[in-house]
Amino acid sequence: MKNNIRVERAIKNITQGELAEQVGVSRQTINTIESNKYVPSTVLALKIARVFGKPLEEIFMLEEGD
Amino acid sequence: MKPHFLFPYWCRYLGWGLVIAHVPMSIIGRANGMINPLDNPPTQSLFTGEHLFFICTSLVMALGLFIVAFSREKMEDEQIWQVRLDSLRWAIYINYLVLIASLIFIYDTAHILELNLWVPLIFFIIRFRWVIFRLSRSLSREG
Repeated sequence: MKNNIRVERAIKNITQGELAEQVGVSRQTINTIESNKYVPSTVLALKIARVFGKPLEEIFMLEEGD
Repeated sequence: MKPHFLFPYWCRYLGWGLVIAHVPMSIIGRANGMINPLDNPPTQSLFTGEHLFFICTSLVMALGLFIVAFSREKMEDEQIWQVRLDSLRWAIYINYLVLIASLIFIYDTAHILELNLWVPLIFFIIRFRWVIFRLSRSLSREG
């Protein structure tokens, strides 16, 4: 699964730390999600989408082989 | 995230304290001629000198490691929880590998018990801390 959190953060002009604080996880977790090393739970993915005010599918996309 | 039962963060210091404290207790005990009951045929009576020595060394260390292993992180989130579960899985694999190997190759069952008291916890702690260290290192590299 890939995501465009980094792009959305840039549009909204917030840092990894600020996003982490808003969804209640560590900055480390946001960093690993951004670099596709960690797949978040549905709850966390929905929380992230809510911060950006966009539907889930616009932030997280399935890749070939998923 | 659902709350899971873990010891509070400060308990990790208590745990390391117990692990460290077992060393001088063990040295003083042995200097005074105490022998670990596992090295001897077990006696029937409880709270004899040797039984207390066993409690003060092996069990204090095992309890310390247990508390260190199951203390909360400063920021406990779902990724930490996943790393924790993954490390536990590896600790069980390694433990059973060591257990099976020692059952096949070693006759001394008392020491197999002692080995089993520590191997899963020590391996879990090392693996868990190593992954956390790697995560925070990659974070600091990205700035």
